[in-house]
This record gives sequence, structure tokens and C-alpha cells, in this order.
Amino acid sequence: MRQTNRALNRILLALLGLALLGAGAAVIAAGTLPGAADTWTTMASSVRDSARNLVDTAPLPDPVRSWWLVAGIAALLVGVALSAAWLASQGGGRTPRLAEQQDGAEERGGSQGAGDARGRTVVDVGLVSTALREALRGNRDVLATSVSAWESRRGTALRLRVEARKGSSPRELADTAEELIREIDALLGHPIPVLVRITSGARTQVSGSRRAR
Amino acid sequence: MNQDRIQRRMIRRETHSSRALPSIISACVLMVVFLWLAAEAVLWILKDQPLLASPSQMLQWLVDLPDTTLPAGMAATGAGLGILGLLLLGLAVGRGRKARRSLASQRAAVVVDDDVIAAALSNTTRLAAGLAPGQATTTVGGRSVRVQVRPTSGVPLDLESVTTVVDGELAAFALDRRASSSVRVLNQGAVGQ
Repeated sequence: MRQTNRALNRILLALLGLALLGAGAAVIAAGTLPGAADTWTTMASSVRDSARNLVDTAPLPDPVRSWWLVAGIAALLVGVALSAAWLASQGGGRTPRLAEQQDGAEERGGSQGAGDARGRTVVDVGLVSTALREALRGNRDVLATSVSAWESRRGTALRLRVEARKGSSPRELADTAEELIREIDALLGHPIPVLVRITSGARTQVSGSRRAR
Repeated sequence: MNQDRIQRRMIRRETHSSRALPSIISACVLMVVFLWLAAEAVLWILKDQPLLASPSQMLQWLVDLPDTTLPAGMAATGAGLGILGLLLLGLAVGRGRKARRSLASQRAAVVVDDDVIAAALSNTTRLAAGLAPGQATTTVGGRSVRVQVRPTSGVPLDLESVTTVVDGELAAFALDRRASSSVRVLNQGAVGQ
């Protein structure tokens, strides 16, 4: 339900993995193959020398010395910003509002009658949450419920989490949930996408199964 | 039709890992490393004391690395880096399936934990065979459902009927991934009920 960009996560993790794999292979080669150690040393020192030459090509007054140093620090800060953006792209999308509708928008410019007043109707998740909890209170197979709304590209979706008693049939729970969702559809007027999660939780472990022998 | 696509997408996202945790850890490590390098560079320009090592010291260390380190140490470090890289690559390329599966449903996308399914199958087996709690245990794997029954000593157990009940229950769940069931009756019985 979260808005995590999953493709981005996979790509970036794969790139990072490849970079680490390459570094590891280079370090192993430098440690075990005699020729590779010399290559390592010459390559690293040539990189150092070319960096020193580069610093001298675009000089600045004394405290900073070179534009290239400024550019290097800027590149590092860009790296910091990109990492922070990757971090910030995880999760998100939870909303307290299940549905929202503007009323009377097409009646404009008339006199100040009651009919053309623009109004906004917002349905809170709390409404559906309370209704579902009330409806499932008598159900002995349900230990706990939680309801949340999540924004996606195709509108808001409802997520209903049901904690099942040990040994209760998920089919029965799914049917119960479906029945309740149809009632919510009737209540709200238009259907919204719903995800039902039937889980076991901390309370499932300590609650005994229903005895019917 | 459109509704169906949304449902399938929700099920797919719920039964597969988002790889958020490895991403968060990697992003944090990258951010700290970049920040540290930038801080070292600034301190070096200002001719201040470095935090750990100035950029020139780092480069010198990198140049001398094969000469100053034991070959075994280099190999071990490289292997460690390589394993970490393989781990990340595996996370990225792997399927990342979670121990959940979806139930067929008309209106909603229903996703159930595997252990809920296992507990339900154990319960039906127990009721069908007239056993006490704990005498039937179920393991739900990727494509298989294994039920283990421990019969009561001296009371015969009809394997056929237990298998029928388990298969019927599994069919009623209408899981999206076909799971083959197998029932095993243990040789050892449970004493007295």
C-alpha cells in the first residue's frame, strides 16, 4: 500500500551490489596476484598525480586553491542530497481521508441561495474504522482489527487488517470481510479498492483455538 | 476490468517485499560516507585538523594498500566486500516473496499469512480426526502444504478421510498459488485422551 518506488529500490540496490562486488574483486586480486598489486599501485598513484595536476589548472585565491576542489565538494554534497532523497522515498502515502467530494461547483454566479453554495464533503477513515470494529465485535474469530487509508496513483484505497484467532478459517474471515465491505459500499455510494489482510499477531499466539469437540 | 488490475497490483505489492529496509540502511550508510568525505575535504582546504584522515592521507593509504597489508588480509577484506555486494544484488534481483498468499475474492484483494492457513488446516484436521490440540501440525511452504498427524494410541486413524478433508479445505480457500498437500501420520501415538 505504501508509495515506495520499488523499481528504484531494486535498481539502486543492484548498482550498489555491483559496485561492492567490483571493489571486492579488485581488492582480492591486489592481495593474491603479484602483477595486480603493481597495477593497483601504479593506477592509484597516477590517479593521485592527475588529481594534483587538475587542481593546478583552475586556480583560485589562496584559501580555496582551485575550482576543482569546489566542484569535488559540490559533487559530494549532491551525493548526500541524492542519498537523502532515496531515504525519503521510502514509505508514505497514508492519509486520514478516505473520500472527498466537491459539491455545487457547476452552479456559479447565481444569487446567494442555498443551492449554489459550494461545499466539500470529507469522509474520515475513523467513520469506517468505527463501523467495522462495531460490526466485528461479536465475531469470535477476530481478535483485533485496524483500518487505514492509503493514497495511490489511482485514488484512495482502504486497508483492513484482521488479526485471526488461532485455527480460524481464513475463508470465513474473507467472506465476512467481503460482506462488510459491500455494506460500506452501500454506505459510501461508490466502491473503493479494498485490501484485506488476515494476519496472525501477538494476540494470536496467546489466544487458544476455539474448542468444539 | 480496471478494478481487477488495481486489485492484482495491491496483491502483488502486499505479497512481495518492497526492499525498504535494505534501501534505508544503504541510503544511510551512503549519506554518512559522502558527508564525511565532504567534511574532510572542507577541513583540508581550511588547513584544519582532519576528523579521521585528510584526503591526501587517504589517497596515500590507497596507493600503499597492497604493500602494507598482508595478502591474506586483502583477500579476506575483498571477500567480505564481495559477499556484501552479492547479498545486495541478491536482494535486488531476487523475487522477494513474503510468507503470504492471496485468497480468491470477488470484491476485495485478500492476502493471508501462511501461518494463519497452517493453523486453520491443523484445526480442521484435528476436528475431522477427533484429536486433541497439538496432535496435528501443519507447515505451509512455497508450493507444498504438509500436515503431520499424531494419532491417539489405540485409536485407528483413517488417512483417506483426513486427506480428503485437508484437500477440501485447501480447495475452499482458493489460494492463488497452487499448493500440493501431503498428510503424514506419525508412527508414535499420543497417550490417552
